[in-house]
Amino acid sequence: MPNWSKLQTRSFLESSARERALGLVDEGTFTELAGPFDRMSSPHLVALGEAVEFDDGVVTGVGRIGKRPVFVISQEGRFIGGAVGEVGGAKMVTTIDLAVAFAEELRAANPKIAADELPLVAISFETGGVRLHESNAGLLAHAEVMDAFQRARGKVPVVALIGSRIGCFGGMGFVAAATDVIVMSEFGRLGLTGPEVIEEEMGKDEFDASNRALVYRTTGGRHKYIMGDCNFLVDDRVAAFRAQVAELCRLPVADFEQFRRIGSAALVEKQMRLVALAAEMQPKDAYDVWRRAGNNDPAGLGDAPVDDFRKQAQRLSV
Amino acid sequence: MALNTLEFDCKAEAASVRLAAPVHYGVVGSGDLEVILEPCDLGGGVKVKVTTPISGFDAVWRKVVETFVNRARLADVAIDINDNNASPAVVSMRLQQALAETAA
Amino acid sequence: MDTLIGQGLVALEMIVDPGSFQRDRVGAKEFTDESYGPGAVVGTATLDGQTVTVIASDAEAFNEKFPVVYAGIIGMEEGYKMASAVYATLAADVDKPAAQKRPLVLIVDTPGNGPGKVEEIFGMNKATGAYQLALAEARMAGHPIVAAVVGRAISGAFLCHGLQADRIVALDAKFGTMIHVMPLTSVSRIIKKNIEVLEELSKSNPVFAAGPQFFYQLGGVEALVPEIEGLRGAVIEQVAALRAAKAKGEATGPVGRAALGAARGGRVTRPQVAARMTAEFAAVADKYRPHA
Repeated sequence: MPNWSKLQTRSFLESSARERALGLVDEGTFTELAGPFDRMSSPHLVALGEAVEFDDGVVTGVGRIGKRPVFVISQEGRFIGGAVGEVGGAKMVTTIDLAVAFAEELRAANPKIAADELPLVAISFETGGVRLHESNAGLLAHAEVMDAFQRARGKVPVVALIGSRIGCFGGMGFVAAATDVIVMSEFGRLGLTGPEVIEEEMGKDEFDASNRALVYRTTGGRHKYIMGDCNFLVDDRVAAFRAQVAELCRLPVADFEQFRRIGSAALVEKQMRLVALAAEMQPKDAYDVWRRAGNNDPAGLGDAPVDDFRKQAQRLSV
Repeated sequence: MALNTLEFDCKAEAASVRLAAPVHYGVVGSGDLEVILEPCDLGGGVKVKVTTPISGFDAVWRKVVETFVNRARLADVAIDINDNNASPAVVSMRLQQALAETAA
Repeated sequence: MDTLIGQGLVALEMIVDPGSFQRDRVGAKEFTDESYGPGAVVGTATLDGQTVTVIASDAEAFNEKFPVVYAGIIGMEEGYKMASAVYATLAADVDKPAAQKRPLVLIVDTPGNGPGKVEEIFGMNKATGAYQLALAEARMAGHPIVAAVVGRAISGAFLCHGLQADRIVALDAKFGTMIHVMPLTSVSRIIKKNIEVLEELSKSNPVFAAGPQFFYQLGGVEALVPEIEGLRGAVIEQVAALRAAKAKGEATGPVGRAALGAARGGRVTRPQVAARMTAEFAAVADKYRPHA
């Protein structure tokens, strides 16, 4: 086991899925479910002669933050880009299902149970979506996760953490958008279509995928913070992500609706106003939108230390 | 095209080090591997299983793992590796790191 | 007629009661702006006499504001328009008991979600996510939702418009019906595996090959419809079956399809993983109860 205190000081970006999972919850409280010793690798990769991983690239388990049981899902980008297949998808869905069932059981046993004694789900995304080697099963798993989120609504809060190398794209981009709260670091990226695909569709003049600064200001944490798509922008340390989740752990599940960006008729109306703005502005660059939000020097703001960015950034409102 | 599995047994010359608990280490990235070391009653020997998409390096695997087992003087351990084209140097390093985790 | 690809609106008219489709009206909501999300067609019809909400893609439409939207692509406006139609359906039947809530019929022929820079800047992922959550909410509220795949059901667009339905029927592959994440040729190129080998493997394992029959084996679609003329009957039959299934509390939607995938032998690992995790958690659950 990695040393928990050392993990806290680590870069979230540099941490493996298991390190993120362990570091997120209180020291010594994490129990991994379907962990590597269970050897539940993908049979489909075996059939294709592809390298397998004992945990199929996703770490799932349960720990505690304070009194709160925290069910954790953590994707490993170094294994096939964190892509989701049958086993990994089943692990995600089952983790959410277990959290919901546990919440119901605890509430039935004690209707007056304190909010901070009820489960919460935290998902550390690092994925491009469906694993092509088992694409059909992976796609179906995405639909199951989305369904599980809706079943968890009002019962168990679901928090997305995005700050790993691969970002969160493809079908998992929808999935992350459908969580209650999104926490990102400036190195996190969230979207649907990855930069290479946009370049392929629109041409290099329109979108140069090799331009890292452009890629980050289109889908990166700072941009998503200004757009209101990520609720909290935290430092790139395991401890910073953990501190944000710990703060959220104090809230009752009903309070999580306020953080959502989609999931109700009213929120859809609000998003439609944003889309109207997109149609009106036809922005050539994310910085155009930053300016519209009231940030007069977007480039300066983009380059500022993240602490200054948090203090100065004006967030878009429609 | 199926994944290759290589299995063999070996025994350290001065086998004396036993594991207190199983350990898992590593991520199966490109050019990398993960390993599980588990205590297992094998009459002082070591059992090895390597799962890898690459074939034709049986002798190299045997040499690298045997060297590790001898140096660490391991006894009664099952070694289970998922490999994705790791170099012998990386294999060696990951095995050492896995063992260091058990001591931590 | 040998295909319905690109003819979602023709399929729509064939499925609902003749002449009953009223475009742009769902319950009390009217979609008055014709230029808004033209790739999405929403409205109300009757199906065997029952009032239903219908949602389809229009392959002929082009979204002038968001030029990545054509040929049935679901863009940001389309995604939110579809989601609005679902919420309007929920609102229309809010006071009715679950058993009387109107069905939703999704006519599926869509090649993808809008890929573009503006879409990423404003968050296309939210639009499709919003529609999926709305469908899941309506399904859980009791509305029977049937998706009929009549043409293309591709990757994220199928996730968005189809896979949150209670039940999915798909027209047989002989009509060109496409259900996949990527064609096998692209999969072959990206995962660097020989196409012939993949084709051979797909005979015994349905998890990566393109086609409705593979999704059938995985439980990803409930039924294949052998003839175009059978679509209307298949949808009516599923709505009736769903009323009964929902009344009994049977699993439908993605959960029901997971069970179906196991029963059909296509997704057998999934339940093993779930069972293992459930047993492992049960063994430690006490540690996570209050005052433990």
